[in-house]
Amino acid sequence: MVEKTVTVLSPLGTLPPLQLQPMSPRLDTLDGKTIYIVDAKFPASEQFGEELVNLLKENYPKTNFVYRQKAGSYFADDPQLWAEIKEKGDGMIQYVGH
Amino acid sequence: MRESLYGKGMQHLRVAFVQHPVAYRPSEECRQKLLGKDPVTGRQVLQEIVDHLTLSLNEDESKTGNIERPRQRILGTDTEENFQELFRNNGWTLYLPIIVPTEERVEAMLKGTSRKPDEKVAEMAPSSPHEKWSYNVEQVAVNAVIAGAKPEYFPVILAVASMGHTALFTSTNSFTAMVCVNGPIRNEIKMNMSIGTFGPFNHANASIGAAWSLVSKNLGGRVTPGLNYMGSQGQGHNFTNLCFGEREERLPEGWKPFHVLKGYKPEESVVSVFHGWNWSNMGGFESWKDQTIRIFFEDNFQCCGASIVMDPLVAMMLHDDLGYKTKEEFHQWLKENVKYDQKQYWGFPGQFPEGGHPEELARAKAGEEPYASWLKLPEGVKIPITRELDVNIMVAGGETNPYWQAGSLGLLGTASVDEWR
Repeated sequence: MVEKTVTVLSPLGTLPPLQLQPMSPRLDTLDGKTIYIVDAKFPASEQFGEELVNLLKENYPKTNFVYRQKAGSYFADDPQLWAEIKEKGDGMIQYVGH
Repeated sequence: MRESLYGKGMQHLRVAFVQHPVAYRPSEECRQKLLGKDPVTGRQVLQEIVDHLTLSLNEDESKTGNIERPRQRILGTDTEENFQELFRNNGWTLYLPIIVPTEERVEAMLKGTSRKPDEKVAEMAPSSPHEKWSYNVEQVAVNAVIAGAKPEYFPVILAVASMGHTALFTSTNSFTAMVCVNGPIRNEIKMNMSIGTFGPFNHANASIGAAWSLVSKNLGGRVTPGLNYMGSQGQGHNFTNLCFGEREERLPEGWKPFHVLKGYKPEESVVSVFHGWNWSNMGGFESWKDQTIRIFFEDNFQCCGASIVMDPLVAMMLHDDLGYKTKEEFHQWLKENVKYDQKQYWGFPGQFPEGGHPEELARAKAGEEPYASWLKLPEGVKIPITRELDVNIMVAGGETNPYWQAGSLGLLGTASVDEWR
């Protein structure tokens, strides 16, 4: 006996096209460079950022590390800060505490 | 995080992971975690961060351009048994047996609306940082079939889907979700509003609620634990999402149905969706006010908002015995009387040294009102919290006793069902 077959529709949604974002060129050294360290502002994780800055300064004394907290909550964008980093920074580390 | 980055075309962004938690942890512990190993790669976190800044990019990391991701409308032809397995293995179900969405069943579901199958309904994502997927009427119908819904329920499911809110919001917290239906449609599709309202006792309640989770899972980003669903313990409510109809027929005189309070006419059919952290079941009896105060303060304002679904007996007590002639009057009483314990609000010493409301604490220290005044209150005086005190009040239940259920569920949105008939 042949088992009955059915034709079935996909349950999935429609995905938008992806626009690939290339990463910025890497730095050959951290010496003499300005690196921003940005807190994404998850509550109560400032001390993590402070320790990250402390450790980096201890290990890379010739680098200028700038600690900044993003404006608003961790859901909020901060275009002014991104513009500042593009203008004045050589690199950025953003952390999300949790 | 990888899933979120992928959707933004940055799938190669260099990421280092630190053993959680770091929030609320002392400095020395944070330092040791930075000097310790990334739990994903096994490499030292600090060195990994520096390498990410300095090691040359590979070919993939430098790529530009667009990637199209076409959708396959028809999965194929096979036996129902094999499709049951395929759907289950791909995570396209709620891990219960499904109604397989054949062409015929989807076509029958589409008869529940006058809308065209290819009409776009909305977009949805597991949370705002994730990419939004879009979907049309037919795609919602496929998931309504999987949920076992009848075509006459389909306008409610479309209205829910049209708002673009996920039932499976991703956070490390395990969010719960709720659906409230108002207007004539409740009776037309025989929703349960009486005994066992929230329980597994009604086809419309169950399948509409389940359809919202399936829509969220399959149309709103293929929600997968560990990728784009991070609720540490998960949420049992998400199987059917506390779906119910407000028992408008048993509202006390002068109490308006929920949708009327939101600006709709009584004869309109409307659906409202909510989400938040917690949902509790409580008794009325003699101490209901104290219990209400405690529950609303200690549990309901930690996130998202507040909602209460009270049995008609509770509404009658409030109306007849305590004199609240409208829902709005009771809402006002809550606004004036709900107060927050200072220790609860600002934090528990040693456990949350930065406070339970760190942003408000920072504002208080900066002199911003009303937080600055609250911080100066004498010990023992409660904080007269009024911010975001929007309590959604609904009535449902079978009048077997004066119980109510409440929690931190905020209103996400309200939509007309009639527009999707």
